[in-house]
Amino acid sequence: MKKTIISALFLTSLSAFAGGFQLNLQGIRSIGMGGAYTGLAYGPSATFFNPGGLTQIKGHQFNLGTNLVFPSISLQTDAYDNIDQTTKMATPIHFYYGGQINEKLYVGFGLNNQFGSSSSFSDDWQGRYIVQNIALKTFMFQPTVAYKIHEKLSIGIGAVYTRGNFSYEKAIPISSEASDYGKARLEGKGSAFSFNLGAFSQLIKNDKMELGLGVDYRSGMNLSLNGGTATFTGVPSSLATTFPSTTTFESGLKLPSVITAGLSFKYVINEKSEITFAYDFAQTNWSSYDTLSFDFKNEDTPDSKTVKNWQNVSSHRFGLEYKINKLRFRVGGYYDQSPILDGYVSPELPDATHMAPTLGFGMEVSEKISFDISYLSQKYSREASLDAAGFSAKYNRGVDVVGFSLTVKL
Amino acid sequence: MKNYIYIAAIGLSVMASCKKTAFDTRERTSGNANFKHYISVGNSLTQGYQDGGLYQEGQSMSYPSMIAKQMAMVQPDMDPFLQPIVTGNGSGYMHLEVINGAIKPVKPTDPNGYVEDASWGNWGNAEKSKKYNNLGVAGIKLIQCVNLTTTDNTVNPVILGGIHSILLNQDGNPYARFMNFGESALLPGGDAPVAYLEHVKGSEATFFTNWLGNNDVLGYAANGGVENKPFTAFGIGLDLNALSDINEFTDKYDSITRAFHDLGAKGVCATLPNLISIPYVTTFTVDKLKTDYNYTDIWITETDGSTVRKATSEDYVLLGASGSIATGVGRSQSNPFANGEVLDVDEVTAAKNHTLALNNVIRTIAAKYNYPVVDMFTYMDKLSAGFTFDGIDMNAQYIAGGTFSLDGIHPNPRGYAVVANEFIRVINEFYESNIPKISIGNYRGVKFP
Repeated sequence: MKKTIISALFLTSLSAFAGGFQLNLQGIRSIGMGGAYTGLAYGPSATFFNPGGLTQIKGHQFNLGTNLVFPSISLQTDAYDNIDQTTKMATPIHFYYGGQINEKLYVGFGLNNQFGSSSSFSDDWQGRYIVQNIALKTFMFQPTVAYKIHEKLSIGIGAVYTRGNFSYEKAIPISSEASDYGKARLEGKGSAFSFNLGAFSQLIKNDKMELGLGVDYRSGMNLSLNGGTATFTGVPSSLATTFPSTTTFESGLKLPSVITAGLSFKYVINEKSEITFAYDFAQTNWSSYDTLSFDFKNEDTPDSKTVKNWQNVSSHRFGLEYKINKLRFRVGGYYDQSPILDGYVSPELPDATHMAPTLGFGMEVSEKISFDISYLSQKYSREASLDAAGFSAKYNRGVDVVGFSLTVKL
Repeated sequence: MKNYIYIAAIGLSVMASCKKTAFDTRERTSGNANFKHYISVGNSLTQGYQDGGLYQEGQSMSYPSMIAKQMAMVQPDMDPFLQPIVTGNGSGYMHLEVINGAIKPVKPTDPNGYVEDASWGNWGNAEKSKKYNNLGVAGIKLIQCVNLTTTDNTVNPVILGGIHSILLNQDGNPYARFMNFGESALLPGGDAPVAYLEHVKGSEATFFTNWLGNNDVLGYAANGGVENKPFTAFGIGLDLNALSDINEFTDKYDSITRAFHDLGAKGVCATLPNLISIPYVTTFTVDKLKTDYNYTDIWITETDGSTVRKATSEDYVLLGASGSIATGVGRSQSNPFANGEVLDVDEVTAAKNHTLALNNVIRTIAAKYNYPVVDMFTYMDKLSAGFTFDGIDMNAQYIAGGTFSLDGIHPNPRGYAVVANEFIRVINEFYESNIPKISIGNYRGVKFP
């Protein structure tokens, strides 16, 4: 099991997804229901969505899932009718455990990729001096405890340890006899601590209906990328003091805090079937991402500072699940605001405020094993500029995500 | 049941991986213009001159050739855009080398200089009967393009085409050698002179760009306002560096524009850039000489050639004086910069006012024939102040600024691409065409060693 996860980590390359580069792909059942889960918080994925919900678990449960993210992003500029990003498929994963210790105390563990982005272009594309390739991968490890304060109220808290890898390649507009431009590659990794605090209340619970309420706060974090390596290639030798073959840099990514409030309502139609509705409201405090700076150790290398000026955003997520016998059919949707203002839209991440539909299907294969799949489709366009770089384009973005997960109850 | 899940999962994955977002190819139109036969007229900027010379690679990246390449995407049946291309190093040109640890420009005449190509001395002589699309001629003034008077008929063929070899064996403007200017009326038995205007009339242009006129100011500014009278021996006394007479400029600009109008051609006229924004003038400011070259006072010679005074922040030591700076000139009253090495405050004012006056003429005449104007005066000023295109920072700093070539007057290929895009913008706006813009980053900047 451990080996599988680790090899999965190495394969993972994340695509920019949903509201900046936050990945709202942390549970397959949740995705099928438009991403709403804070007020449902059922099963081991509560570790992430709302640790307070872990107290609904009986015994020990494991959930392992992955998403296949198929991005398709195209640009149109004054110079070219069509430019396609060459970004490849990404496969973010999640693994959760939730278990009952005694009547009041529950534990959980989560491993997932909460933030990530990866974009690629052909090396000689029009915006090569802005970006050629960029990738951010984060891995969150979250040991968690939950406590049932009262029949109707539980709280849970997880300590989150994050590991992040960042890489960035762009062309340098310096020409020589050998080449019209050089290339910079920045690579860094770092770690950060944060926490995930949630409260869950099952206000109504009887044979006919259930009403759940939840609120969750995941703190922001500063993922420091100090001691990263900068490599400069194809730079004329006379400028080697400015762009040495390698130097190091200091940088950091300020990832946002996220606060979510949700509710769920389940109605039992008859012995065989029931219907569940869920709704989440989330605010992601992207104003943390105000600038992105790289301070190079080599004094002659010009430091870089990009003003991002991202905005706090909110989203609405809602979904329905219809259960009949051992099958569950889900449908949902969400509305996500883009944190990126006009004038700050960079070609690697042409995010836009949008709505998207989701579908899901679940099946209990046996008492102990259930299987879920989900489908999510984003399609939107935006016309915007990156003023600091003197670049503007029309963007078409289509992302399809197919998710699978396996839940095991012991 | 499990099989259904597999099928659903595989089906969804296949469906998802096929999503397409590509934009449709835009329909291209030449709008109200016809780019079938594009003719460019102008001077060194138009000919593709850069790094102080006309060389094959540089010329192949002239702004008119870039515009033509883009026009062909709109009008595929467009005639090939022919340029009189030199061979190899052509006239010879400047390049950069590391000398004693510092990056230095090397002139063709310096050790290791990129000297002229063996073919250069004869370049163009065999081309005179050919018809080219790019009629840019380095060094040409607008007032040399039209022969209105006997003096014009006498002098212009000499300046442009050279003096009959039997008589004096003296070359005219070597960059004009690919065109036939006939023979000066001055010469006994000389054929009738052929004005540059006649080449415009015979050009069959359906579309034109006209960026003539820079040398009607530039010769003055680049030489610090010093007179240059190479033909005084003939008693004509024409000062090649003089600021052109406004009335004469008006009449002749009208003639050129009318010639295109009479051909039924559409086109654009461009204004003259502000010379006080180019590195040739702005590199050695008084402040810069004090901070970077340890000058305490800077001594210059005024226009009269004899008054020596301390420079103020309104005087400019020209890039051409770099050799003098290296040998300590200008540090004392007894060893001042020569008049020709300095554009003093009076000359700055004269050059700027003259540029503004000529630009008014260009605007008026363009409007008269209903041609749009590319406002290069404003545009180059903006560019010089600093601009970013597609992630490339550009400004007018010498060498480091990324816009100008090593001569400090002419853009490098990337700078010419920016210029071409501004022409394209104006053409599209006025003629409702949609010529695609140029991706600036596809062209190189200054080559570093």
